[in-house]
Amino acid sequence: MARILLVLVAALALVAGSASAQRVNLLCSPDLAWCEALGPAFTEATGYDLEFIRVSSQDALARIRAEAANPVFDAWFGGTGDPHLIAMREGIAEMYIPTVWDDIIPELKAVINEEYIPLYAGAIGFVVNEEALGGAPLPRTWRDLTDPVYRGLIAMPDPTSSGTAYTTLATLIQIFGEDEAFEILEGIHMNIAQYTSSGAAPGQLAGRGEVAIAVQFMHDGVKFAAQGFPLTTYAPEEGVGYEIGGISLIANAPNREAAIAFIEWALTPEAQAIAGELGDSYQIQSNMNTEQHPLAPNFDEINLIEYDFDRWGDPEVRDQVLTRWLNDIFPIPR
Amino acid sequence: MSTNTTSHPSSTGMGLRYSGAWLPAAIAAAGFLALPFGRPGRPFLTIDPDLYAWAIGHPLLWFVLVGALAALVISLLKLPTAPRGDLLIGAGTVGLGAGVLWFLLTATPFGMGALVAFAGLALVIGHALSESGRVQGDAFIATSILVVSLFVLLFIIYPLFMVMRSAVVVDGAFDLSQFRRTITHPLFFFLENPRSQIDEVGLTMRWGVVVGLVSAAWALFRRRSLPLVLARLVLGGIVGLVIGAMMYGRGALPTSLLTVAIVAPACTLLGLAFALLGQRSSFRPVRRSLDVISVLPIITPPFILAFAMIFLLGRRGIITHGLFDLSVNWIYGIPGVAIAQILAFTPIAYLLLRGSIASLNPALEEAAQTLGAGPWTTLKTITWPLVRPGLAAAFLLSMIESLADFGNPIILGGDRNFLATEVYLSLTGRYNPNEAASYGVVLLALVLLAFFVQRWWLGGGSFVTVTGKPSSGALAPIPRAVEVALTAVLLVWTVFVAALYASIVVGSFAQLWGVNYTFTIRHYQDFMRAGWPVFLYTARVAAISAVPAMLLGFLVAYLVSRHRFWGRRFVEFGSLLSFATPGTVMGVAYIFAFNTGPWLLTASATIIILALVFRNMPVAIRAAVAGLAQIDPSLEEASTMLRARSFTTLRRVLFPLLVNTLVTGLIFAFVSAMTAVSQVIFLVSPGNQLATVLLLGWVEQGQLGRAAAMGTILIVSMLLTILVVLALAQRISARVVRVES
Repeated sequence: MARILLVLVAALALVAGSASAQRVNLLCSPDLAWCEALGPAFTEATGYDLEFIRVSSQDALARIRAEAANPVFDAWFGGTGDPHLIAMREGIAEMYIPTVWDDIIPELKAVINEEYIPLYAGAIGFVVNEEALGGAPLPRTWRDLTDPVYRGLIAMPDPTSSGTAYTTLATLIQIFGEDEAFEILEGIHMNIAQYTSSGAAPGQLAGRGEVAIAVQFMHDGVKFAAQGFPLTTYAPEEGVGYEIGGISLIANAPNREAAIAFIEWALTPEAQAIAGELGDSYQIQSNMNTEQHPLAPNFDEINLIEYDFDRWGDPEVRDQVLTRWLNDIFPIPR
Repeated sequence: MSTNTTSHPSSTGMGLRYSGAWLPAAIAAAGFLALPFGRPGRPFLTIDPDLYAWAIGHPLLWFVLVGALAALVISLLKLPTAPRGDLLIGAGTVGLGAGVLWFLLTATPFGMGALVAFAGLALVIGHALSESGRVQGDAFIATSILVVSLFVLLFIIYPLFMVMRSAVVVDGAFDLSQFRRTITHPLFFFLENPRSQIDEVGLTMRWGVVVGLVSAAWALFRRRSLPLVLARLVLGGIVGLVIGAMMYGRGALPTSLLTVAIVAPACTLLGLAFALLGQRSSFRPVRRSLDVISVLPIITPPFILAFAMIFLLGRRGIITHGLFDLSVNWIYGIPGVAIAQILAFTPIAYLLLRGSIASLNPALEEAAQTLGAGPWTTLKTITWPLVRPGLAAAFLLSMIESLADFGNPIILGGDRNFLATEVYLSLTGRYNPNEAASYGVVLLALVLLAFFVQRWWLGGGSFVTVTGKPSSGALAPIPRAVEVALTAVLLVWTVFVAALYASIVVGSFAQLWGVNYTFTIRHYQDFMRAGWPVFLYTARVAAISAVPAMLLGFLVAYLVSRHRFWGRRFVEFGSLLSFATPGTVMGVAYIFAFNTGPWLLTASATIIILALVFRNMPVAIRAAVAGLAQIDPSLEEASTMLRARSFTTLRRVLFPLLVNTLVTGLIFAFVSAMTAVSQVIFLVSPGNQLATVLLLGWVEQGQLGRAAAMGTILIVSMLLTILVVLALAQRISARVVRVES
């Protein structure tokens, strides 16, 4: 018994992990391909190593919270803005002003009140598989989605679990006012084939013809089209809301110096160009000197609404909207 | 189940020899002096001179050394055994207690020295408990009980306590409102739907009345007494209400329950059918192919299987759209999840039942048939009662697996929500650990209910068929008609599964799975670049975790089923909890529990291995318990009478008889570690990435080709592993049988 136990203890000890000093531990929330492309380029530029874990921004927030007393991660790259904002307000992430701060697109900084560092922006839109429409016309407006010809042909993420869907709800309310927005949501609900738990899933369903219309971020639609799925991506006429992805320094980061070097590097035009070139990611990059990828949805051609990030990022407002959706829309049989 | 207790001769005599506790005491003292007691941060193997016990110099720490040295001296003194045992318990407890207290006070992460010293002291106490006669059994038994209890406490109860705490403790104060809010939430359960045309409550009531009356009528027909008839009426009414709620209600609770109600019986029946065929089919290829076919789904990462199902049965599916020209979405929701779960969990039921069927003594059936019983009567009166414990175990397991399943509902659930995915989604999608914990509590309650129902159904019967002689005699063939029917079921299963796997392989070589089937090896190149190191790392971690999971499982099974000791229920309950807890909850529990203070383990391979060990241990326990239930305790008694120590009995008597069961447990532990997702998704860290978590990322990102490539490689490599290990086990088992007879 003594021997067994000692062998066990020794075995556990031998495989115990260890962290080296000159390494950035990164929580990476955008597309995996983008995350994978960051490491080699960063090491080449600065000499620091980089290890990352790809988790959605919600998972990332949950992890940072759970590990707040003893952080494992140094920096958090990408992912929709609300969780970054919450992390900042809770003090588990730290506002660091990078040297390129003045090059960051001023509008992006302004709308989020300079509460976190903007990394990219992406707008909500329609991602449509024309073949799967079966002859029905392309929907052009939010109201079009309530037309019964689209019955069983629409997918959108589930508002109770996806930040993308919440952005859609907030967009509709900001365009139409709450009551009219919920009327439209009820109409869309009758046409929905399924609500997906992940924000990027509707576009994949549309790509494979499981549905015809996906409501989600346009840059994801562009990505799926680039992968070969028969998809067209565009914004509805009434206007669309958008997200501003963030990059944050974790409070009490174990490798703070390396983390700062990473944030400085990630905001340079060279680093941001990686997104479209190697990372299958077509968001608008936040540094105004970055050459935007040709596939990236052009914000000048999209009717962007004046999205109130302060109000709609507030967890209480979010709770109210979701509760109303759950009570008014979710139970309707279809 | 037998509760026989072996007591060792040495604990009764007045032995004047030294105590066996001297070795662990010496190890404890040496570890204390030679290795650093604490560590500066996460790394284990850093030697920081400031963190040696003698450099820290805290008075409490000296008690640790005093305890160890005192134990060393006492164990070498010539004293009567029992009082010396009491003295050793005292010395060991002082040392251990002082050390633990120091860690609690200073919150320093423990170091190697502390680990060795504490392990040594725990062994001293174990020896002493036996010598003092406070625990019946020899040093091995006493130490095992102590160590197993400690493990259960530290790695199962404590993390769960931490997460349960957050279900009812909000901002540091006791508060039930969060729990109440969760279980009254429409996502959890609602029956009356004002927006629907039908009257859900009325229909549910009708179900309650009908089922209640039917069950009472049946009791009357069987001429039961009046109180029993009334009891049946009430019980049937409740069952009817539950059925009605499952059918007309919405929300995670009825959805999960309905899925379980479909999946668990189906898995158990299919598992039994395959086990019968595998053991007794008169058609050789059926028996041969079963092992391979039935094992396929468990070696498959669940997301992959779910995706293959979409490509076969979805709106544009090859079968539904291509063959029958249908455009239907029925696969998203309960039907799809149920099919995927049946495919995934039937092999678990099969593996469990195969053990039961294999260890049936054919001589019993021969005897029945010699006495003139037909195949049906034999099946009903001999075979059925003997496989009942196995059936109950299989049913319970498929139930728990179905309830806790995360991979299938997340892909195929559509917009029906399931309890296990709600745990994950409330934590990650709604940032609400309290809500996640509340869902966890509900899941646990359901599983415990199932556990007690199983207990009640099995009752206290004895199912002993092994009497020392290995099985002999020809296996009775199953009735012809039954065999044909079962073989037909197997055939359908095989074709469907083959189509699923073929589509995965095709998907891995297709330019774009589902859209463009031009041949490419690009996904394998991508996998080699981005996935191969992670794959190797995962295999290493899984292999390391499987061995302790199996050994611990065997040990716990042996202790629980063969010994009565204080804390037996606790160990049993703890291991049940660790299996029943949905993986996501356990993962977060580990983060809550092991991120600060002495137990700083997060962001290491250690925590992943620990999570996997304690996650997979209960499966080994179940397998070993089912196996042990079939072995007559008199075998061990005979061994004890011949003055063999219990470790020897374990090694020389039980182990050889259980080789097959144990190897099954080992493979299962390894394979589930390779394909585990939910319990490790929160535990991976930079440099400790696991294949399945990476796979989930690829699936979420739509990199299905690459995911299919990794899936194919996982499937092939694990299939090879299983085939090799099973072949080895059969040879070992055959040799053991030869030697023993």
